[in-house]
Amino acid sequence: MLKMTHLSKVYRTEVVETYALRDFNIDVKEGEFVAVTGPSGSGKTTFLTIAGLLETFTGGEYHLDNIEVSNLDDNARSKIRNEKIGFIFQAFNLIPDLNVFDNVEVPLRYRGMKAPERKERIMGALERVGLASRAKHYPAELSGGQQQRVAIARALAGSPRLLLADEPTGNLDTQMARGVLELLEEIHREGATIVMVTHDPELAARAQRNVHIIDGQVVDLAEDPRFHTAYTAAAGQVRG
Amino acid sequence: MQIQPILAALRRHKAGTILIALQIALTLAIVCNALFIINQRLSHLSEQSGVDEPNLFVIRNMWGEQYSTQQAVQHIEEDVAALRQVPGVQDVSAVNNYPFGPSTWDNFITMKPDQLSPTTDASFYTGDENFVRTLGLKLIAGRDFRADEIQDKGLRDSIVPAVAIISKAMADKLYPNGDALGKTFYAMTSSPITIVGIVDVLHRQDVSSWSASYLGESMITPIRIAMPWGLTYVVRAKPGQLEEAMHAAPKALFAENRMRMIDPKDGLLSFAEVRHRAFEKDRGMAILMGIICVVLLAITGAGIVGLTSFWVGQRRRQIGVRRALGATHRDILHYFMTENLLISLGGVAIGVLLTFGLNLWLVTRFTLNLLPVTYVLAGIVILLLLGQGAVLAPALRASRVPPIEATRPA
Repeated sequence: MLKMTHLSKVYRTEVVETYALRDFNIDVKEGEFVAVTGPSGSGKTTFLTIAGLLETFTGGEYHLDNIEVSNLDDNARSKIRNEKIGFIFQAFNLIPDLNVFDNVEVPLRYRGMKAPERKERIMGALERVGLASRAKHYPAELSGGQQQRVAIARALAGSPRLLLADEPTGNLDTQMARGVLELLEEIHREGATIVMVTHDPELAARAQRNVHIIDGQVVDLAEDPRFHTAYTAAAGQVRG
Repeated sequence: MQIQPILAALRRHKAGTILIALQIALTLAIVCNALFIINQRLSHLSEQSGVDEPNLFVIRNMWGEQYSTQQAVQHIEEDVAALRQVPGVQDVSAVNNYPFGPSTWDNFITMKPDQLSPTTDASFYTGDENFVRTLGLKLIAGRDFRADEIQDKGLRDSIVPAVAIISKAMADKLYPNGDALGKTFYAMTSSPITIVGIVDVLHRQDVSSWSASYLGESMITPIRIAMPWGLTYVVRAKPGQLEEAMHAAPKALFAENRMRMIDPKDGLLSFAEVRHRAFEKDRGMAILMGIICVVLLAITGAGIVGLTSFWVGQRRRQIGVRRALGATHRDILHYFMTENLLISLGGVAIGVLLTFGLNLWLVTRFTLNLLPVTYVLAGIVILLLLGQGAVLAPALRASRVPPIEATRPA
């Protein structure tokens, strides 16, 4: 579903080159629920933005749903974002001027979908996240958990092949976070591929597979002597 | 189309939206009426006089003392004879006034002596048998005056002529069937005046809005007005000799009689200068209105640029989110263009009402004509194009916001 091979992302200034990702390799299979963890500044978010075609990469290859994306123009990238990818952002990123219904409708309009189909999908997605009765409410009238559910509904309404979540519970309290996580697990059980960036080990433990990024590279914590002790301790905490 | 969500978003930004819409409405109202006034004024500038303008000049002569009618007639004859001797002069006529002149003589015209409501109003020229020839008028029917028809009249004499030459515009007004020649009319007296000739065009003596209602309706009577204080000579130069004739004519008059005054500023004018002076106010008004239109349109355009730029800055993250959700550069560009179009349409809808309201007020207050719908349509097109033009730069800036903006902290 998502395969990056020897991928690199370099930020250049006049005097310095900074590698955000270096020789980055990852292969996410269809239907997987992968948690991406790592310390701040490790390259998690860069990985996610490249995976979501929000920005370009410097070298290597990236295949998304068997399409090599490095040479696509902006319109083609927009089309893939619209049709194949659903985004869930930490800050929800709802449009404050639009009500819940109109927010969920945004990606469907860009797809050129007819109004009756849009309405059916929107109400279906809102029912699924338990917010059908709030369709006419504005984001400011909802709690943080409800706003994130609307964002999930917006991501789901387009039936994407891949769901990318960036710290989806980062701005929520424990109870709301649990609700959102249960929703993601339910979506995964129904067959969606989910890649979730998080720094929360407990959240990561509930994913099918964990990928750890350090210094812009994927590392195997169990095998890397630098992190072996810390990994064992963290795994023990989660199990405990 | 994204009209419904754009309208929904605009409802959340009422203040800016309403202010710009009202600015557009006011601009439309003022620009439409101003363009109408400009066009009316400019159309005056090209009004035909009917006279041989390139070769005519006028001399406004004041006697140095007050003459009796008899003395004045004698001096007029001497002056006309002197002017005819000037090299380059083709013809001369002593007149009461000329087209686009500084004052106006006019008469209500009726078809019957006891008619209470006038049929029209005619600009009233007096002239001798040389009048038509000197001014270069085109006689299209009937005949010119004979020398024996010319009457000399003083200040207090009754000036009711038996015959007249009238303009075609007046003939058509009095006798729409085209059979005016030989018929009669009345000029506020009980004696009929017989139409003996019709000239193609003879503009009225002034260019006021009152005169505009009777455009081109003029009559010439075979009368030589012998005012005690002076009179005007219209002189026709031979083709290409206007300047020499104008230079020599005053000298010839002073040589014939030194007891006279010819104002150095207004006493000797080519017809080009006469026309220029007559329409000075129209030209000034057209320029002023033009400046007002340009300034208003510039302010409105700047307002749209300012508000849209502010909104683009304010919604940068929102634009990034839209891009992340699949919007292309073109989608974002269309969003802002459509948003402006909707605001502009709201503005012009209010503006149309304001435009006709302002026009009705001008009609009742300043006797302006009713505004034709074409001006409003043209105004709407101008305002909509202005809006789209003004919004283009900030909208293009918005379309270049990258999708990564969605992940940046607010």
